[in-house]
Amino acid sequence: MMARPPPDPLYILRGSGASVNALHFCCGGDGPPLLYSGSGTGAVHVWNLSTRRAERVLESHAGNSVIWLHTLNNSRSSLISQGRDMRVCVWDLSEGRNAVTDSLHTGSVGFCQCSLLESQPGSTLLAHPTQHMEEVSVVEMSSWTQVCSLKLDSNLGMLMCMKMWQADSGPVLCAGYEDGSVVLWDVSHRRPFSRLKVHPEPVMSLDVDVYRQKGISGSSEKILQSWMLDNKKSLQMHDSVQMTNPGVSQLQIRADGKILASAGWDNNIRVFGWKKLKPLAVLQHHTDIVNSVAFSDHQDPTQRLLAAGSKDQRISVWSIYSES
Amino acid sequence: MLLTNCRTDPLGISNFKWRMAEHQIDDPKIAFAYLRPSCVLLTKEPTCTNVEALSGHLCSVSDGALQQLQDYILFPLRFVLKTPGPKREGLIQAVMEAMTYVLENTCVQRWESLRDLFSELCLCLCSPQDPGKPATASEELKISVLGCLDTLLHSAYGDIVFKLYEPSMLPGLGAAVSLLLALAEQEKARSVQTASLKCLLSLFLQCDCKKEHIEPRQHERYLLGSALATFLPGISRALSLVVSGDVRQGHAVTVKSMRFWYKTVGLVMADEQLEKTGIDKAAGDLGRVGELIVKRTPSWRKATSQRLAIVLQKIISCTSAHPHWKVRLELVNLSHHLLSQCSQSVVECVGPLLEALVGAINDEEPEVKNKCNTALDDVAQKSQTNGRQDFTDVLSENLHNLASSLPRLMRTSDDQRKLFVLNVFLGYLKILGPKIDVVLTSAVHLERISKALMQVMELDVTDVKIIEEKSLTSSADLTPDVQQIPSQRKYFLYFTDDKIFSALRKICRMLGYYGNLYLLVDRFIELYKESSVYRKQAALVLNEIIVGSAGIGVETDTLSQPKTNEEDLKSSIMSIIEEYISLSNWHLPTVSEALEGNPESTVLSVNNNVELSLQLLPASKPQTLHQLNSNIWQICIQLEGIGGFALALGTDFSLLLMRSLYPVLEKAGDESLLISQVAFNAMCDFCKACEYSSPKELVIKNSDYLLNDVSLNLARPSVHPHAPRVLAVMFTHSDASLLPLVADVVQDVLTALDLSYDQRTPQFCSVLNSLMKALVTWFPNTTGHQKPPTKETQNNTCVSLKQFLLDYKKQKEFAEGIGVEDEDPDDLDIPPPELASDEDTEGPAVKKELPLHIQIAKDVMERCIHLLSDSNLRIRLKVLDILELCVCILREQEDELLPMVHRCWPALLHRLTNDDPLAVPRAFKVLCVLGDSCGDFLRKRVSKEVLPRLTTNLLKQAEISTRSGSVYTHTLAYKLQLAVLQGLGPLCVKLDLMDADLDHVLDACVPYLSCRQPIRLQEACLSVFRSLMDLDSDLCWFILNQLYCPVVYDPPHPLLLPVKLSGVNKPRNQFTDNILKLLQELDGEPENGEPENQTQTLHMTDNRPSYSTSRC
Repeated sequence: MMARPPPDPLYILRGSGASVNALHFCCGGDGPPLLYSGSGTGAVHVWNLSTRRAERVLESHAGNSVIWLHTLNNSRSSLISQGRDMRVCVWDLSEGRNAVTDSLHTGSVGFCQCSLLESQPGSTLLAHPTQHMEEVSVVEMSSWTQVCSLKLDSNLGMLMCMKMWQADSGPVLCAGYEDGSVVLWDVSHRRPFSRLKVHPEPVMSLDVDVYRQKGISGSSEKILQSWMLDNKKSLQMHDSVQMTNPGVSQLQIRADGKILASAGWDNNIRVFGWKKLKPLAVLQHHTDIVNSVAFSDHQDPTQRLLAAGSKDQRISVWSIYSES
Repeated sequence: MLLTNCRTDPLGISNFKWRMAEHQIDDPKIAFAYLRPSCVLLTKEPTCTNVEALSGHLCSVSDGALQQLQDYILFPLRFVLKTPGPKREGLIQAVMEAMTYVLENTCVQRWESLRDLFSELCLCLCSPQDPGKPATASEELKISVLGCLDTLLHSAYGDIVFKLYEPSMLPGLGAAVSLLLALAEQEKARSVQTASLKCLLSLFLQCDCKKEHIEPRQHERYLLGSALATFLPGISRALSLVVSGDVRQGHAVTVKSMRFWYKTVGLVMADEQLEKTGIDKAAGDLGRVGELIVKRTPSWRKATSQRLAIVLQKIISCTSAHPHWKVRLELVNLSHHLLSQCSQSVVECVGPLLEALVGAINDEEPEVKNKCNTALDDVAQKSQTNGRQDFTDVLSENLHNLASSLPRLMRTSDDQRKLFVLNVFLGYLKILGPKIDVVLTSAVHLERISKALMQVMELDVTDVKIIEEKSLTSSADLTPDVQQIPSQRKYFLYFTDDKIFSALRKICRMLGYYGNLYLLVDRFIELYKESSVYRKQAALVLNEIIVGSAGIGVETDTLSQPKTNEEDLKSSIMSIIEEYISLSNWHLPTVSEALEGNPESTVLSVNNNVELSLQLLPASKPQTLHQLNSNIWQICIQLEGIGGFALALGTDFSLLLMRSLYPVLEKAGDESLLISQVAFNAMCDFCKACEYSSPKELVIKNSDYLLNDVSLNLARPSVHPHAPRVLAVMFTHSDASLLPLVADVVQDVLTALDLSYDQRTPQFCSVLNSLMKALVTWFPNTTGHQKPPTKETQNNTCVSLKQFLLDYKKQKEFAEGIGVEDEDPDDLDIPPPELASDEDTEGPAVKKELPLHIQIAKDVMERCIHLLSDSNLRIRLKVLDILELCVCILREQEDELLPMVHRCWPALLHRLTNDDPLAVPRAFKVLCVLGDSCGDFLRKRVSKEVLPRLTTNLLKQAEISTRSGSVYTHTLAYKLQLAVLQGLGPLCVKLDLMDADLDHVLDACVPYLSCRQPIRLQEACLSVFRSLMDLDSDLCWFILNQLYCPVVYDPPHPLLLPVKLSGVNKPRNQFTDNILKLLQELDGEPENGEPENQTQTLHMTDNRPSYSTSRC
């Protein structure tokens, strides 16, 4: 059977006016599904996905690039953004407000994105990079008090990417470093569980499927590498998949654990089956590096979308593998 | 009382006046004395004069006295009538008038009087030979007798009048009835017919005039009924003949006969009378008369009812679509009366009666409609209160039958009848109201109704004109106006009247309003998909159903809100639109394949070359033409539908714009005139629905949605070939605010162009053309590149010889200096030094950010370089247009323009020198614009590479054009000559050409000064000279004078040599006129008042005289 041709994007969101670096969906609550996008010039666009138009535009981070966006408590009215002005800002967007209610100076000049963990109500942990290039700092959001600082003695190079989640034993954080290693941290005990040298080049992005205890990372090469966490929380190489062109900006596993999407430096979005890393589709639309991919969290599985933001200033929205 | 019979009684008027004037005699005795002489006289001598004398006296007697003397007065009058032998008509008429007067003002109290008068009057009407037939009397006489009879019946006392209907009277009554019927039926004069019908009504106490009437009680009605039952067959026969008679008989006759018929039937068949048949036995021994009496038994009722149904059908068919509304009103009354009086006795008639009633519900006459509504309400209420469920059943049964016979009726009957049938259909729906839903849930009903609509609404697509009409104004030139173009009339196979179509639309709307929307949409979408035969009709129906379900254009009695909720409506509309715009239903071929296949001819058809496209159409395939035609209509109907949906949804349609605006805009740019107009109308509907002030605003505000589709579709030109077209429409409608969004898509366009080079180039070229046109209008060039002409030499009114020489030398060096610096082509790829310094300050990797429109123009121009050498002439022409526009934009950034010009020069040069004669003038025009924008830069190239060819060509053609006749002006060579000559002057000025180049140009132009050249070439040539005179007036002067010199120049000083010009003393030649004209202009510039020649300084350089003139 012939493979079907890759689909076209459902639609394109234009008008961000600069390269799109960060994306985040918010479909919960009342009202139409929203997509937040952060641009290279500090603008955060709130896209109404029903009208496919920007509902509002927030000027943030003093015109510096926005590199990460997330909603707090899954509420459409409170947003957290990380910019290259070394700040993390908390926004109150309720009732038409667009005020920064709180902010944190991280001191990090790098590109590493923060990671948020809302483990218990009222207690939200934020992992962020610091002015020390290798260090991860985990803070309690309500008071910005530092919970811990994670740093290895050996030279791993700059912190590149990370993901934090709640394990039975407590919060766990997985971080990728400039030398190509991935380190699994026990946040409560401030010590590494395990360390694995996955790539010869810096780890550009990683994502972890907490349910399957399996993660994936990509670097500036042509290969995507997946790894397992065994019972003793030690990292093991698992599987890998080759791509045609090198370089990944971001990797995202869909919440249902069925597919994985990569944002490629070759302007393409690639979709893989997560179970066996089977390449499923190459989504071609962008004319420049794809910076970010995100899956929507819509209640109705048929309306779960994939969005990709690119340096070509466009956000492409796709409806793929959403039937079953 | 008095006034009522005035019309038939002219005397009455005089009486009236008289009586008003004088006092009347009240005392019967005096009155008797007063009247007696004239009565006696009349008895003795029955003459007209005597009757009139009596009449005159009657007026002075009061009503009371008259009543007492009634018999006495009537006696002589009746005596006149009774006298045997022929009588003059005038006399009888006078008698009638007198009797009428008496009867009008008195009452008949005695039965004998009534009976005798009645029979005497009847005798006056019938022919003496054959009492059964009407007399051959004059019209006036008949009218006056009938009037008298009518008055008699009105003046009869209530307690005696019913004796008329007793069985013993039947023969006499029968004779009267048949006589009156015969009059109504056979008489030619309308007034007699009406009068006899009125008489008949009065005879059975059914008169409807304004006078007082006896209201019969129940047993009296029964009496009337049984009497009439005897005559029913005759009445029915005669009246149905009258009703079905010629329409020209006038509505009054028809109305009266209908009324008499239904009043009769209403009495005879009244439910209340037939329920108690027992009374009939009262008929004792009446002898032969007994045979006349009809016994209204159940079996009789049944038989009669069946016969009546036949008569009723006949009456309905003649009157339901009667042109006069009063007739239609009477039919409503008829139906109402019979339905309320005898619906149980005449069961067979209920169906037709309902049908007739319902058919009037949408009558165009409001009075009929209102009457019908009240009647229906009444009937419906009565049937409900009677606890009879069958009313709805009858209706739905009728509806079903009608739906079944609809297609046949629509094929066979005339328009009037069709309209009636459809109105009946609509009426049923209206009465059923919310119950339509129940009826439609029956699969049989839905199937019947939907199929009937499909068959009835079949379009006639044989009109070939539709295909031929190409949009002359391309969509890009649509005026930004909400004014809708009146829609093209649809032609149907089975009817022509627009009213019929509008009735059908109302039916569909009514279905949509009351029916279950999902059910209906499903059914008709199913039909839409089922067969291409149904597709257009199904779309038409769907369109109306949606509009109806939104409550638009539905006439309902109640002002209730549409029951369809917004969400249902929206989702139905969504699914229909999706169906409409799906690839297979939207991209139907509307242009013959022969045209579509060949890109060259597609371009031609875009260029509105109607004759050509006609030639290319295969004449042997008429079905194909019909198919194309049908496709055009299909698309139009769908477009109309989408527009209607927008109106139905209102502002809620905004969300649907993201899906539907692109397809509509796609069709707005369609080559077919009809489609593009309908699409434009749909856009206007969108504007109305979504509250945009104009299509322009609609496009601008939704450009994001449009561009989304455009950019996606650009990537798939084979599936969605029309994206460039939409883009072109957008460019035309938008403004500069669109640019940031457009810039994004322009890149897509260029990428798509690069990827599909050969097939889609024409389309892309037109997009780029419209894009550049838009850019030119969005960014009007404020910094024009016009350099002030350098005329230093001419600034001084008088220059010394030495100064002149110095200036000349300086200028020449200066010019040569610049020429050397600027024209080295090798330097051109190096960016200008100032740009380099910019880069130094901003950092090595950052290139200076160009304004978007400049960047776009640059990108487009880049493509032009390649496309300039396209093998297709039309594309080359289009590209030359685009190139010109690019240059216009880029001229404000010379740094960008010059390198681009350099790069496209070789290709352009090729167009200028070696191309088709069509392309050369176009290329030359581009060259002129280029010269205007970057003069110096091109000087050397032009003088080296272009001028020699142009001048040679001009010289060569000059010989041909002098010898040619007027036909020559239609040739391409001529057009080329003209274009070159027209552009050459300004070009030379802009390029600031010098010496040798000017010589070449002038040499080439000189032959065109000949008066033998076509006049426009001469004019163009003169314009060249005029331009060059600005540049180098001396040279021009000299060259002109060499050809023909009108004056001899004497040196002002003996030391100077005499001037010898070769044109001196030449005879007048072919150049003389134009040269003189030019020399005159050269010398006589108006600003300078000084006379010429006085301040001229003559000098010789380079073997040529130079002049410093006194001009500015």
